[in-house]
Amino acid sequence: MAGYAISLQELTKDYSVGFWRPRPVRALNKVSLDVNTGEVLAYLGPNGAGKTTTLKLLMQLIYPTSGGAEILGRPVGDIDTKRRVGYLPELPYFYDNLTAEELLWYFGGLFGLSGPDAKRRAATLLDRVGLEAERRRRLRNYSKGMLQRVGLAEALINDPEVVFLDEPMSGLDPVGRRQIRELIQSLRDDGRTIVFSSHILSDAEALCTRVAIMAQGTLVAVGHLSDLEFKTLGWELVVTGSDTQALTSLGLDAVKQGQGGRFVVDVPVHRHPDELLPLLASEGFSIVALTPIHESLEDYFVRHVTRHASTAAGSHELNETPQTATSSPKR
Amino acid sequence: MTVVVRIAAHVFKESVRDKVLYNLVLFAVMLMAASYLIGQLSAGQDVKIIKDLGLAATQVFGLFIAVFIGIGLVSKEVERRSIYSLLSKPVRRHELILGKYAGLVLTLAVNITVMAMALYLVLGYMSWTETEEFKQNWETPATDPALLQALFLIFIQLMLVTAVALFFSTFSSPILSAVLTFGLYVVGHFNTDLRNFENIVDSQAVGILAGVVYYLLPNLAPFDVKAQVVHAQPISFGYMALTSGYAGAYIGALLLAAIFIFSRRDFK
Amino acid sequence: MRATGWWERPASCAIVLMLLGGLSLSATVARDRLYAGEQTEAQLLYIPSGTVLERVALSFDALLADVYWVRALQHYGVTKRASGEKRYDLLGPLLDITTSLDPRFNVAYRFGAIFLAEAYPNGPGRADLAIALLEKGLAVMPDRWEYYMDIGFIYYWWLRDYEQSAAWFSRAANVPGSSWWLRSLAATTLAAGGSRELSRQLWQQMYDSADNDWIRNESARRLTQLRALGDIDQLIGAAQEFHRDTGRPPRSWAELVDAGLLVGIPIDPTGRPYVIDFSSQTINLSPESELYPLPGESLPPPPPSP
Repeated sequence: MAGYAISLQELTKDYSVGFWRPRPVRALNKVSLDVNTGEVLAYLGPNGAGKTTTLKLLMQLIYPTSGGAEILGRPVGDIDTKRRVGYLPELPYFYDNLTAEELLWYFGGLFGLSGPDAKRRAATLLDRVGLEAERRRRLRNYSKGMLQRVGLAEALINDPEVVFLDEPMSGLDPVGRRQIRELIQSLRDDGRTIVFSSHILSDAEALCTRVAIMAQGTLVAVGHLSDLEFKTLGWELVVTGSDTQALTSLGLDAVKQGQGGRFVVDVPVHRHPDELLPLLASEGFSIVALTPIHESLEDYFVRHVTRHASTAAGSHELNETPQTATSSPKR
Repeated sequence: MTVVVRIAAHVFKESVRDKVLYNLVLFAVMLMAASYLIGQLSAGQDVKIIKDLGLAATQVFGLFIAVFIGIGLVSKEVERRSIYSLLSKPVRRHELILGKYAGLVLTLAVNITVMAMALYLVLGYMSWTETEEFKQNWETPATDPALLQALFLIFIQLMLVTAVALFFSTFSSPILSAVLTFGLYVVGHFNTDLRNFENIVDSQAVGILAGVVYYLLPNLAPFDVKAQVVHAQPISFGYMALTSGYAGAYIGALLLAAIFIFSRRDFK
Repeated sequence: MRATGWWERPASCAIVLMLLGGLSLSATVARDRLYAGEQTEAQLLYIPSGTVLERVALSFDALLADVYWVRALQHYGVTKRASGEKRYDLLGPLLDITTSLDPRFNVAYRFGAIFLAEAYPNGPGRADLAIALLEKGLAVMPDRWEYYMDIGFIYYWWLRDYEQSAAWFSRAANVPGSSWWLRSLAATTLAAGGSRELSRQLWQQMYDSADNDWIRNESARRLTQLRALGDIDQLIGAAQEFHRDTGRPPRSWAELVDAGLLVGIPIDPTGRPYVIDFSSQTINLSPESELYPLPGESLPPPPPSP
């Protein structure tokens, strides 16, 4: 018994599209995947890949056409399991007339929390997501970013062992994204199992232990991020310093002048930052930010899917199969 | 079961926050204005007219509440996708439907109770300011307790309309649900004609069809005892029991159908 | 894969739905059989205009009846106060619709009883409509002895059919709870129909038993008219005496006063002088008097209906 926190077995979902002559459209094609307890899995894929469909199947908002899934050893939809699971839907929408506090009290009550317990937890969570000050305002006055945080608080109100987050970073500014990242990290440190979906690769990098990549309803790759061959196309470097001439003398051409004496440089892939940074320092530049530019997930898929198109359809694991996962969950 | 109660309490709270209960203010103002104005116009019929107006307004306001909140219970939540939050909690799908229904029934009950009190207050005032001699000519006392029978049946009827709205709301859009519910409400009042069809129409098949439709569609006319109450005709307990029983069975069927549809539905 | 309750499975759902359907069916059948009368089936009996409106009104017929009642009152009041030619054409239809929407609208029947039959210019003079309205009310409420009485009244006062009048008073008397004097009234009508004393008694009884103001006011007005008739009888007597004494009819009140037959200019109970018309040798109320016209007079005919 593997004791996986989450286990998908050939999970398949077809939709009927069209009114007069409905044709089935396969949104999810025999996805099999296991997630270990305490793991953080990034569920990546372009829009329409089936990420949200998977999460909805796991929360039993929709029913599978075939195949199945288990959470914490019980089949999906088991009521007691739902008490131990948290879910943040994509683009959450709430009851306009309630305040953030009241919303959490309500949902806490649905989990069976007593009044005082719910209140206490709500206060803690709102603090943790940074909404302590606005907790008495009606939700209709909240910005998108604030709503996203309320959604997160809601996903955690029952202190879940397993948390599903559908596009948790959407609608947030960079500061917000960083806060959410830190939050997810602290959840990981608590020992919870986390699955979050995204269509942006860099979201995954700081956080996850493993990555599962979806495309057109099929699981294309599963594995550690470092083991997946994402091509780096270059870096974006932001520095402050003297002038552009010094930069061009280092062979960096694509320089844009930013605000406040900053320069934004596109570093081509053959100029590795390891050798570049000391040179910049010696010219008197200080580094503000260095961000790798990966190939997009779309490009990755195109590469891999066309490469594997001749072989059988289904999940293509690059260097692991779920049954033989042995690497430790934490990075 | 406490989940059902909590959802019901939430629906009630939403209604209050949606300022639904402000309709009560409108009702009270209308009654008082009417009682003041029509006193001169109606040759001594003002108490009758206030009773008619009060009962009719209770029914109409209640109808709008039943339909517009009823369709929002599920349709609007599905449209706005706040249903995902609810369904991801340890809430069974049938508990959601029952909780929503109970919440709206509670809202209606509060609404009708307050309206009843307002109506009795206005009637009491009219009675108090009238001479004894004049009052002897009234068919029924101004603050007639029989009005409660009419109000009770109005409430039962609204419970049925709510169930209809909730049923449609589980599978169609808010607008379509509203149209269908209002449509059934109107048809439900023409129902008695269907029963007499076989006497009027020559074709037996049409008569049988009409009879089937009569029994199938909700028959709303028997819930209307407003005229009888105002004219002091007694309404027997047996009549009230059977009519309420009919409503209860019909509501049960509608809720069951709603639960069936809702339980099997994918929320994309 | 997931646990399904019985309510999610088509078969069990269908069974329970049929059970509930059967329950609702039996409740309906039982109620229809036991309480057929409590439905407002009576409304189906009446003329189409009322029924169409009643269908459209859904369950708000009583309130709509109130609206039509107020309209009927206003139509009557406005028409009566208008100068020039008065048309009361809408009064009958309005009262008819009112009573179709609310067949138990007692006051509408009694209003029609008096004012539909009322002769021009104070009403349309349609005794037939009044009687039809009252008969409609009797179909719904056969224990309303007042309606029988009102019909009897119309036959007595407007149609002068004393046999019919007595017959209706008799029917009224047969209704349990009716006024005790109706039986003797039936008898007396047969015997002395048209006598002023009987008429006075009738109107006095109406006045005493009136259940609202305008019936009472109307009765009072009739009683005053009867007094005026009595006055006129006396004035005619004085005029005849003058004729005997002087050999010609009097030309003015002054002559009678001078002759010592009258104390002063005679005035009717409302304070207006009576008029003496020399050419036609009649004594009558002034046309401006509130009591005008007296019953039983040759009145200007009502304008022909369109």
